[in-house]
Amino acid sequence: MRRLILSLHLTVALIGGAFVLVLGLTGSIMAFEPELDRLLHPHLSYVRPSGRVLSLAEIGQAVSKQFDGEPIVAYLPSQSPDLASEVILPRGVVCVNQYTGEVLGTRTRGQTIFGFARDLHVRLASGDVGRTIMKWSGVAMLVSLASGLYLWWPRKRVGIRGGWRTGRVWFDLHNSVGILSLVPLLVLAATGTVTGFEDHVAALLGRVTAATQIRDGQNVARRPPAAGALEITPDQAVVIARAQMPGTLAYRVQMPRYGGAYRVSLDYPRDRVVGERNLIAIDQYSGNVIFSTRSGDLSSSERILASNEAIHTGEVLGMPSRIVAWFTSVILPVQVISGWLLWLRRKRWKVS
Amino acid sequence: MKTTLAIVVLLAVGALAGDVAGKWSGTFRVSGGDHSIPQIIVLKQDGNRLTGSAGPDAGEQYPIENGKIEGDRVTFELTSGEWRFSYDLKRAGADEIKGNLELKSVNNRRTAVVSLSRMK
Repeated sequence: MRRLILSLHLTVALIGGAFVLVLGLTGSIMAFEPELDRLLHPHLSYVRPSGRVLSLAEIGQAVSKQFDGEPIVAYLPSQSPDLASEVILPRGVVCVNQYTGEVLGTRTRGQTIFGFARDLHVRLASGDVGRTIMKWSGVAMLVSLASGLYLWWPRKRVGIRGGWRTGRVWFDLHNSVGILSLVPLLVLAATGTVTGFEDHVAALLGRVTAATQIRDGQNVARRPPAAGALEITPDQAVVIARAQMPGTLAYRVQMPRYGGAYRVSLDYPRDRVVGERNLIAIDQYSGNVIFSTRSGDLSSSERILASNEAIHTGEVLGMPSRIVAWFTSVILPVQVISGWLLWLRRKRWKVS
Repeated sequence: MKTTLAIVVLLAVGALAGDVAGKWSGTFRVSGGDHSIPQIIVLKQDGNRLTGSAGPDAGEQYPIENGKIEGDRVTFELTSGEWRFSYDLKRAGADEIKGNLELKSVNNRRTAVVSLSRMK
Protein backbone atom coordinates (compact mmCIF):
# COMPACT_ATOMS: atom_id res chain seq x y z
CA MET A 1 0.00 0.00 0.00
CA ARG A 2 2.79 2.40 0.98
CA ARG A 3 4.54 1.75 -2.35
CA LEU A 4 1.34 2.51 -4.20
CA ILE A 5 0.79 5.75 -2.32
CA LEU A 6 4.44 6.75 -2.89
CA SER A 7 4.01 6.11 -6.63
CA LEU A 8 0.83 8.18 -6.62
CA HIS A 9 2.58 11.01 -4.70
CA LEU A 10 5.51 11.00 -7.15
CA THR A 11 3.40 10.70 -10.29
CA VAL A 12 1.05 13.52 -9.29
CA ALA A 13 4.01 15.71 -8.31
CA LEU A 14 5.85 15.02 -11.58
CA ILE A 15 2.80 15.70 -13.74
CA GLY A 16 1.25 18.56 -11.78
CA GLY A 17 4.28 19.96 -9.95
CA ALA A 18 5.13 22.59 -12.57
CA PHE A 19 1.57 23.93 -12.52
CA VAL A 20 1.45 23.93 -8.72
CA LEU A 21 4.73 25.87 -8.81
CA VAL A 22 3.05 28.46 -11.06
CA LEU A 23 0.04 28.59 -8.71
CA GLY A 24 2.35 29.27 -5.75
CA LEU A 25 4.50 31.92 -7.42
CA THR A 26 1.60 33.81 -8.97
CA GLY A 27 -0.54 33.43 -5.83
CA SER A 28 2.19 35.05 -3.74
CA ILE A 29 2.12 38.07 -6.10
CA MET A 30 -1.68 38.23 -6.13
CA ALA A 31 -1.92 38.13 -2.32
CA PHE A 32 -0.42 41.63 -2.18
CA GLU A 33 -1.28 42.93 -5.62
CA PRO A 34 -2.77 46.27 -4.48
CA GLU A 35 0.22 47.03 -2.25
CA LEU A 36 2.76 45.97 -4.92
CA ASP A 37 0.91 48.00 -7.53
CA ARG A 38 1.08 51.09 -5.31
CA LEU A 39 4.74 50.40 -4.64
CA LEU A 40 5.39 50.56 -8.39
CA HIS A 41 3.29 53.73 -8.81
CA PRO A 42 3.81 55.74 -5.61
CA HIS A 43 3.40 59.12 -7.32
CA LEU A 44 -0.05 58.08 -8.62
CA SER A 45 -1.18 56.32 -5.46
CA TYR A 46 -0.36 58.39 -2.39
CA VAL A 47 -1.48 61.84 -1.26
CA ARG A 48 -0.80 63.91 1.82
CA PRO A 49 -4.08 64.44 3.73
CA SER A 50 -4.68 68.19 4.06
CA GLY A 51 -7.91 70.04 4.68
CA ARG A 52 -11.26 69.34 3.10
CA VAL A 53 -11.92 66.43 0.74
CA LEU A 54 -13.29 67.80 -2.54
CA SER A 55 -16.70 66.69 -3.70
CA LEU A 56 -16.94 64.29 -6.63
CA ALA A 57 -18.30 67.13 -8.77
CA GLU A 58 -15.25 69.27 -7.94
CA ILE A 59 -12.90 66.39 -8.68
CA GLY A 60 -14.76 65.83 -11.95
CA GLN A 61 -14.36 69.49 -12.91
CA ALA A 62 -10.61 69.34 -12.28
CA VAL A 63 -10.30 66.24 -14.46
CA SER A 64 -12.53 67.59 -17.24
CA LYS A 65 -10.46 70.78 -17.35
CA GLN A 66 -7.26 68.79 -17.78
CA PHE A 67 -8.67 66.40 -20.40
CA ASP A 68 -10.67 68.73 -22.66
CA GLY A 69 -14.06 67.75 -21.28
CA GLU A 70 -13.67 64.04 -21.94
CA PRO A 71 -16.76 62.38 -20.39
CA ILE A 72 -16.33 60.81 -16.98
CA VAL A 73 -17.24 57.13 -16.85
CA ALA A 74 -16.99 56.62 -13.09
CA TYR A 75 -15.47 57.89 -9.87
CA LEU A 76 -13.53 55.62 -7.55
CA PRO A 77 -13.46 57.59 -4.28
CA SER A 78 -10.43 57.03 -2.07
CA GLN A 79 -10.88 54.38 0.62
CA SER A 80 -8.10 55.72 2.81
CA PRO A 81 -7.05 59.31 3.68
CA ASP A 82 -3.55 58.82 2.23
CA LEU A 83 -4.61 57.13 -1.01
CA ALA A 84 -5.52 59.09 -4.14
CA SER A 85 -8.98 59.06 -5.70
CA GLU A 86 -9.42 57.80 -9.23
CA VAL A 87 -11.59 58.94 -12.09
CA ILE A 88 -12.27 56.62 -15.01
CA LEU A 89 -12.24 58.12 -18.49
CA PRO A 90 -12.49 56.29 -21.82
CA ARG A 91 -8.74 56.94 -22.30
CA GLY A 92 -7.73 55.42 -18.94
CA VAL A 93 -7.82 55.94 -15.19
CA VAL A 94 -6.87 59.37 -13.88
CA CYS A 95 -5.38 59.55 -10.38
CA VAL A 96 -6.38 62.70 -8.51
CA ASN A 97 -5.45 64.28 -5.20
CA GLN A 98 -8.87 64.56 -3.55
CA TYR A 99 -7.71 67.44 -1.30
CA THR A 100 -6.35 69.75 -4.00
CA GLY A 101 -7.85 68.49 -7.27
CA GLU A 102 -4.33 68.04 -8.67
CA VAL A 103 -4.19 65.42 -11.42
CA LEU A 104 -1.36 63.07 -10.42
CA GLY A 105 -1.28 61.19 -13.72
CA THR A 106 -3.10 58.71 -15.91
CA ARG A 107 -2.91 54.94 -15.99
CA THR A 108 -3.56 53.40 -19.37
CA ARG A 109 -5.30 50.07 -19.80
CA GLY A 110 -3.40 46.97 -20.78
CA GLN A 111 -1.73 43.93 -19.35
CA THR A 112 1.02 44.35 -16.79
CA ILE A 113 2.98 41.86 -14.70
CA PHE A 114 0.04 41.74 -12.25
CA GLY A 115 -2.50 40.96 -14.95
CA PHE A 116 -0.16 38.34 -16.41
CA ALA A 117 0.31 36.75 -12.96
CA ARG A 118 -3.47 36.55 -12.54
CA ASP A 119 -3.88 35.15 -16.06
CA LEU A 120 -1.23 32.51 -15.32
CA HIS A 121 -2.81 31.65 -11.97
CA VAL A 122 -6.31 31.19 -13.34
CA ARG A 123 -5.76 29.94 -16.88
CA LEU A 124 -2.02 29.51 -17.45
CA ALA A 125 -2.30 32.52 -19.80
CA SER A 126 -3.66 30.17 -22.45
CA GLY A 127 -7.44 30.27 -22.52
CA ASP A 128 -9.72 27.31 -22.06
CA VAL A 129 -7.00 24.62 -22.11
CA GLY A 130 -4.98 26.51 -19.52
CA ARG A 131 -8.01 26.98 -17.30
CA THR A 132 -8.71 23.25 -17.37
CA ILE A 133 -5.08 22.48 -16.49
CA MET A 134 -5.04 24.95 -13.60
CA LYS A 135 -8.27 23.78 -12.03
CA TRP A 136 -7.13 20.17 -12.15
CA SER A 137 -3.81 21.28 -10.62
CA GLY A 138 -5.83 22.12 -7.50
CA VAL A 139 -7.06 18.54 -7.43
CA ALA A 140 -3.46 17.35 -7.93
CA MET A 141 -2.43 19.44 -4.92
CA LEU A 142 -5.11 17.86 -2.76
CA VAL A 143 -4.03 14.35 -3.82
CA SER A 144 -0.41 15.24 -3.22
CA LEU A 145 -1.13 16.61 0.27
CA ALA A 146 -3.25 13.62 1.29
CA SER A 147 -0.69 11.10 -0.01
CA GLY A 148 2.14 13.13 1.57
CA LEU A 149 0.42 12.98 4.95
CA TYR A 150 0.02 9.20 4.59
CA LEU A 151 3.73 8.82 3.77
CA TRP A 152 4.79 11.10 6.63
CA TRP A 153 2.60 9.49 9.28
CA PRO A 154 4.57 6.34 10.31
CA ARG A 155 7.87 8.16 11.04
CA LYS A 156 6.43 11.57 11.89
CA ARG A 157 9.66 13.40 11.11
CA VAL A 158 9.80 17.07 11.96
CA GLY A 159 13.07 19.00 11.99
CA ILE A 160 16.08 19.20 9.74
CA ARG A 161 19.07 16.95 10.23
CA GLY A 162 21.97 16.09 7.96
CA GLY A 163 24.04 18.17 5.53
CA TRP A 164 23.09 19.77 2.23
CA ARG A 165 25.14 17.29 0.19
CA THR A 166 23.56 14.18 1.63
CA GLY A 167 20.13 15.01 0.40
CA ARG A 168 18.76 14.28 3.84
CA VAL A 169 18.26 17.97 4.37
CA TRP A 170 15.90 18.14 1.37
CA PHE A 171 14.01 15.14 2.63
CA ASP A 172 13.67 16.67 6.09
CA LEU A 173 12.74 20.05 4.62
CA HIS A 174 10.07 18.47 2.41
CA ASN A 175 8.66 16.54 5.37
CA SER A 176 8.81 19.31 7.95
CA VAL A 177 7.53 22.15 5.78
CA GLY A 178 4.83 19.88 4.41
CA ILE A 179 3.49 18.82 7.78
CA LEU A 180 3.79 22.21 9.48
CA SER A 181 1.96 23.97 6.67
CA LEU A 182 -0.44 21.14 5.90
CA VAL A 183 -3.58 22.86 7.18
CA PRO A 184 -3.15 26.18 5.29
CA LEU A 185 -2.01 24.23 2.20
CA LEU A 186 -5.12 22.06 2.36
CA VAL A 187 -7.34 25.11 2.81
CA LEU A 188 -5.69 26.92 -0.11
CA ALA A 189 -5.91 23.83 -2.36
CA ALA A 190 -9.51 23.05 -1.44
CA THR A 191 -10.77 26.63 -1.83
CA GLY A 192 -8.82 27.02 -5.08
CA THR A 193 -10.31 23.82 -6.43
CA VAL A 194 -13.82 24.98 -5.51
CA THR A 195 -13.15 28.27 -7.32
CA GLY A 196 -11.84 26.38 -10.35
CA PHE A 197 -14.97 24.25 -10.52
CA GLU A 198 -17.26 27.06 -9.36
CA ASP A 199 -19.93 26.48 -12.00
CA HIS A 200 -20.30 22.84 -11.00
CA VAL A 201 -20.15 23.65 -7.30
CA ALA A 202 -22.75 26.42 -7.72
CA ALA A 203 -25.09 24.00 -9.47
CA LEU A 204 -24.55 21.43 -6.71
CA LEU A 205 -25.04 24.00 -3.94
CA GLY A 206 -28.14 25.29 -5.69
CA ARG A 207 -29.62 21.82 -5.45
CA VAL A 208 -28.58 21.33 -1.84
CA THR A 209 -29.55 24.75 -0.50
CA ALA A 210 -32.50 25.42 -2.82
CA ALA A 211 -30.89 28.74 -3.60
CA THR A 212 -32.81 31.77 -4.64
CA GLN A 213 -31.94 33.17 -8.03
CA ILE A 214 -29.27 35.82 -8.26
CA ARG A 215 -31.13 39.06 -7.81
CA ASP A 216 -30.37 41.53 -10.52
CA GLY A 217 -32.85 43.85 -8.96
CA GLN A 218 -36.22 44.73 -10.32
CA ASN A 219 -36.34 47.66 -12.66
CA VAL A 220 -38.79 50.25 -11.43
CA ALA A 221 -40.69 51.92 -14.26
CA ARG A 222 -38.97 55.20 -15.13
CA ARG A 223 -40.73 58.25 -16.42
CA PRO A 224 -39.06 60.21 -19.20
CA PRO A 225 -37.52 63.41 -17.83
CA ALA A 226 -39.39 66.66 -18.24
CA ALA A 227 -38.03 69.04 -20.86
CA GLY A 228 -35.03 70.88 -19.45
CA ALA A 229 -34.84 68.63 -16.38
CA LEU A 230 -31.49 68.80 -14.64
CA GLU A 231 -29.44 65.81 -13.55
CA ILE A 232 -28.58 65.34 -9.90
CA THR A 233 -24.87 65.47 -9.08
CA PRO A 234 -22.78 62.36 -8.33
CA ASP A 235 -22.48 63.57 -4.74
CA GLN A 236 -26.27 63.69 -4.41
CA ALA A 237 -26.45 60.18 -5.88
CA VAL A 238 -24.04 58.97 -3.18
CA VAL A 239 -26.15 60.58 -0.42
CA ILE A 240 -29.30 58.90 -1.77
CA ALA A 241 -27.56 55.53 -2.09
CA ARG A 242 -26.04 55.64 1.40
CA ALA A 243 -29.41 56.54 2.88
CA GLN A 244 -30.64 53.21 1.51
CA MET A 245 -27.81 51.35 3.25
CA PRO A 246 -26.64 53.22 6.35
CA GLY A 247 -23.13 52.39 7.48
CA THR A 248 -21.78 51.85 3.99
CA LEU A 249 -19.15 53.76 2.02
CA ALA A 250 -19.29 54.41 -1.71
CA TYR A 251 -16.31 52.93 -3.53
CA ARG A 252 -17.55 53.40 -7.07
CA VAL A 253 -19.96 55.85 -8.69
CA GLN A 254 -20.75 55.21 -12.34
CA MET A 255 -22.14 58.11 -14.34
CA PRO A 256 -25.58 57.85 -16.04
CA ARG A 257 -24.12 58.35 -19.53
CA TYR A 258 -22.57 54.91 -19.00
CA GLY A 259 -25.33 52.46 -18.15
CA GLY A 260 -28.38 54.76 -18.18
CA ALA A 261 -28.45 55.66 -14.47
CA TYR A 262 -26.14 56.44 -11.56
CA ARG A 263 -24.79 53.14 -10.27
CA VAL A 264 -23.37 53.50 -6.80
CA SER A 265 -21.39 50.56 -5.40
CA LEU A 266 -21.31 50.47 -1.63
CA ASP A 267 -19.13 48.62 0.80
CA TYR A 268 -19.73 47.62 4.40
CA PRO A 269 -16.20 48.20 5.70
CA ARG A 270 -16.46 45.36 8.22
CA ASP A 271 -17.93 42.72 5.91
CA ARG A 272 -14.98 41.29 4.01
CA VAL A 273 -16.82 38.32 2.56
CA VAL A 274 -19.75 39.79 0.67
CA GLY A 275 -19.39 43.43 1.67
CA GLU A 276 -18.64 44.69 -1.82
CA ARG A 277 -21.78 43.35 -3.42
CA ASN A 278 -24.12 46.25 -2.86
CA LEU A 279 -25.27 48.28 -5.85
CA ILE A 280 -27.90 51.02 -5.87
CA ALA A 281 -29.05 52.40 -9.25
CA ILE A 282 -30.52 55.89 -9.16
CA ASP A 283 -32.46 57.80 -11.80
CA GLN A 284 -30.33 60.82 -12.69
CA TYR A 285 -33.31 63.19 -12.98
CA SER A 286 -35.74 62.21 -10.23
CA GLY A 287 -33.19 60.81 -7.77
CA ASN A 288 -35.43 57.74 -7.36
CA VAL A 289 -33.87 54.38 -6.67
CA ILE A 290 -34.41 52.25 -9.78
CA PHE A 291 -33.11 49.03 -8.37
CA SER A 292 -30.76 47.71 -5.75
CA THR A 293 -28.68 44.60 -5.31
CA ARG A 294 -27.66 43.98 -1.73
CA SER A 295 -25.27 41.53 -0.15
CA GLY A 296 -28.06 40.66 2.31
CA ASP A 297 -30.09 39.32 -0.63
CA LEU A 298 -27.46 36.75 -1.60
CA SER A 299 -28.54 33.13 -1.49
CA SER A 300 -26.85 30.59 0.76
CA SER A 301 -24.92 29.10 -2.14
CA GLU A 302 -23.71 32.54 -3.23
CA ARG A 303 -22.58 33.24 0.32
CA ILE A 304 -20.74 29.92 0.48
CA LEU A 305 -18.95 30.65 -2.80
CA ALA A 306 -18.14 34.21 -1.71
CA SER A 307 -16.76 32.92 1.59
CA ASN A 308 -14.72 30.31 -0.28
CA GLU A 309 -13.18 33.02 -2.44
CA ALA A 310 -12.51 35.27 0.55
CA ILE A 311 -10.73 32.41 2.34
CA HIS A 312 -8.68 31.57 -0.77
CA THR A 313 -7.51 35.14 -1.31
CA GLY A 314 -6.99 35.73 2.40
CA GLU A 315 -9.48 38.62 2.47
CA VAL A 316 -11.66 36.88 5.05
CA LEU A 317 -9.83 38.19 8.13
CA GLY A 318 -8.00 41.07 6.52
CA MET A 319 -4.24 41.51 6.74
CA PRO A 320 -3.48 38.50 9.04
CA SER A 321 -5.19 36.03 6.70
CA ARG A 322 -3.64 37.69 3.64
CA ILE A 323 -0.20 37.15 5.18
CA VAL A 324 -1.09 33.47 5.78
CA ALA A 325 -2.29 33.17 2.15
CA TRP A 326 0.94 34.77 0.91
CA PHE A 327 3.12 32.58 3.13
CA THR A 328 1.29 29.42 2.06
CA SER A 329 1.74 30.39 -1.59
CA VAL A 330 5.48 30.80 -1.01
CA ILE A 331 5.59 27.35 0.62
CA LEU A 332 4.32 25.70 -2.56
CA PRO A 333 7.48 26.26 -4.65
CA VAL A 334 9.58 25.03 -1.70
CA GLN A 335 7.62 21.78 -1.60
CA VAL A 336 7.64 21.27 -5.36
CA ILE A 337 11.36 21.99 -5.77
CA SER A 338 12.45 19.92 -2.74
CA GLY A 339 10.26 17.07 -4.01
CA TRP A 340 11.77 17.24 -7.48
CA LEU A 341 15.30 17.29 -6.06
CA LEU A 342 14.52 14.20 -4.00
CA TRP A 343 13.22 12.42 -7.07
CA LEU A 344 16.07 13.50 -9.39
CA ARG A 345 18.76 12.39 -6.96
CA ARG A 346 16.88 9.49 -5.43
CA LYS A 347 19.53 6.91 -6.38
CA ARG A 348 22.45 8.99 -5.17
CA TRP A 349 20.84 10.03 -1.90
CA LYS A 350 18.76 6.93 -1.12
CA VAL A 351 16.77 8.84 1.41
CA SER A 352 13.45 7.10 1.09
CA MET B 1 -18.03 65.17 -63.48
CA LYS B 2 -15.51 64.53 -60.70
CA THR B 3 -18.14 65.29 -58.06
CA THR B 4 -20.57 62.85 -59.66
CA LEU B 5 -17.88 60.18 -59.78
CA ALA B 6 -17.02 60.77 -56.12
CA ILE B 7 -20.69 60.46 -55.15
CA VAL B 8 -21.02 57.22 -57.15
CA VAL B 9 -17.90 55.81 -55.47
CA LEU B 10 -19.16 56.81 -52.01
CA LEU B 11 -22.55 55.23 -52.67
CA ALA B 12 -20.89 52.07 -53.93
CA VAL B 13 -18.72 51.85 -50.82
CA GLY B 14 -21.80 52.43 -48.69
CA ALA B 15 -23.65 49.65 -50.48
CA LEU B 16 -20.70 47.29 -50.03
CA ALA B 17 -20.61 48.12 -46.34
CA GLY B 18 -24.15 46.78 -45.97
CA ASP B 19 -26.69 47.79 -43.39
CA VAL B 20 -25.96 46.74 -39.84
CA ALA B 21 -28.31 49.25 -38.26
CA GLY B 22 -30.74 47.73 -35.79
CA LYS B 23 -30.83 45.70 -32.60
CA TRP B 24 -28.54 42.73 -32.13
CA SER B 25 -28.47 40.24 -29.30
CA GLY B 26 -26.09 37.46 -28.39
CA THR B 27 -23.24 36.70 -26.06
CA PHE B 28 -19.52 36.97 -25.61
CA ARG B 29 -17.40 34.36 -23.94
CA VAL B 30 -14.02 35.25 -22.50
CA SER B 31 -11.24 32.83 -23.37
CA GLY B 32 -10.70 30.70 -20.30
CA GLY B 33 -13.92 31.98 -18.74
CA ASP B 34 -16.59 29.66 -17.44
CA HIS B 35 -19.73 31.20 -18.88
CA SER B 36 -21.10 33.39 -21.65
CA ILE B 37 -22.15 36.97 -20.98
CA PRO B 38 -25.29 38.35 -22.65
CA GLN B 39 -25.12 41.32 -24.98
CA ILE B 40 -27.67 43.64 -26.54
CA ILE B 41 -26.23 46.01 -29.12
CA VAL B 42 -28.10 48.85 -30.81
CA LEU B 43 -26.31 50.02 -33.95
CA LYS B 44 -27.05 53.20 -35.89
CA GLN B 45 -25.34 53.51 -39.23
CA ASP B 46 -24.53 56.68 -41.09
CA GLY B 47 -22.53 55.66 -44.16
CA ASN B 48 -19.47 53.94 -42.78
CA ARG B 49 -19.85 55.48 -39.36
CA LEU B 50 -21.45 53.55 -36.52
CA THR B 51 -22.96 54.94 -33.36
CA GLY B 52 -25.39 53.47 -30.85
CA SER B 53 -24.99 51.61 -27.61
CA ALA B 54 -24.25 48.19 -26.16
CA GLY B 55 -24.56 46.46 -22.84
CA PRO B 56 -25.68 43.35 -20.97
CA ASP B 57 -29.39 44.22 -21.31
CA ALA B 58 -31.68 46.85 -22.76
CA GLY B 59 -31.65 48.86 -19.53
CA GLU B 60 -27.89 49.02 -19.07
CA GLN B 61 -26.39 50.45 -22.23
CA TYR B 62 -23.02 52.09 -22.86
CA PRO B 63 -22.33 54.50 -25.73
CA ILE B 64 -20.43 53.17 -28.71
CA GLU B 65 -17.30 55.09 -29.71
CA ASN B 66 -15.10 55.00 -32.81
CA GLY B 67 -17.62 52.83 -34.65
CA LYS B 68 -16.80 51.97 -38.27
CA ILE B 69 -17.97 49.59 -40.95
CA GLU B 70 -15.59 48.67 -43.76
CA GLY B 71 -16.90 46.04 -46.14
CA ASP B 72 -18.19 43.29 -43.88
CA ARG B 73 -15.97 44.34 -40.99
CA VAL B 74 -17.61 46.08 -38.06
CA THR B 75 -15.46 47.71 -35.38
CA PHE B 76 -16.35 49.80 -32.35
CA GLU B 77 -15.32 50.49 -28.78
CA LEU B 78 -17.05 51.24 -25.50
CA THR B 79 -16.15 51.80 -21.88
CA SER B 80 -17.97 49.93 -19.15
CA GLY B 81 -16.66 50.74 -15.71
CA GLU B 82 -12.96 49.96 -15.52
CA TRP B 83 -13.01 47.96 -18.76
CA ARG B 84 -12.53 49.18 -22.31
CA PHE B 85 -14.19 46.88 -24.87
CA SER B 86 -12.82 46.82 -28.45
CA TYR B 87 -15.02 44.85 -30.85
CA ASP B 88 -13.68 43.54 -34.17
CA LEU B 89 -16.58 41.75 -35.84
CA LYS B 90 -17.51 40.41 -39.26
CA ARG B 91 -20.89 39.99 -40.81
CA ALA B 92 -21.71 36.33 -41.24
CA GLY B 93 -24.86 36.63 -43.33
CA ALA B 94 -27.61 39.23 -43.25
CA ASP B 95 -28.66 38.56 -39.67
CA GLU B 96 -25.48 37.39 -37.97
CA ILE B 97 -22.31 39.05 -36.77
CA LYS B 98 -19.37 37.19 -35.27
CA GLY B 99 -15.89 38.10 -34.23
CA ASN B 100 -13.54 39.00 -31.45
CA LEU B 101 -13.54 41.28 -28.48
CA GLU B 102 -10.57 42.63 -26.59
CA LEU B 103 -11.16 43.75 -23.00
CA LYS B 104 -8.63 45.91 -21.24
CA SER B 105 -8.47 47.35 -17.75
CA VAL B 106 -5.57 48.75 -15.79
CA ASN B 107 -3.26 45.69 -15.42
CA ASN B 108 -5.48 43.22 -17.32
CA ARG B 109 -6.15 42.23 -20.88
CA ARG B 110 -8.56 39.50 -21.97
CA THR B 111 -9.94 38.28 -25.27
CA ALA B 112 -13.40 36.97 -26.03
CA VAL B 113 -15.44 35.52 -28.86
CA VAL B 114 -18.63 37.37 -29.79
CA SER B 115 -21.69 35.98 -31.52
CA LEU B 116 -24.69 38.20 -32.34
CA SER B 117 -27.88 37.81 -34.29
CA ARG B 118 -30.37 40.44 -35.40
CA MET B 119 -33.34 40.85 -33.08
CA LYS B 120 -36.66 40.43 -34.88
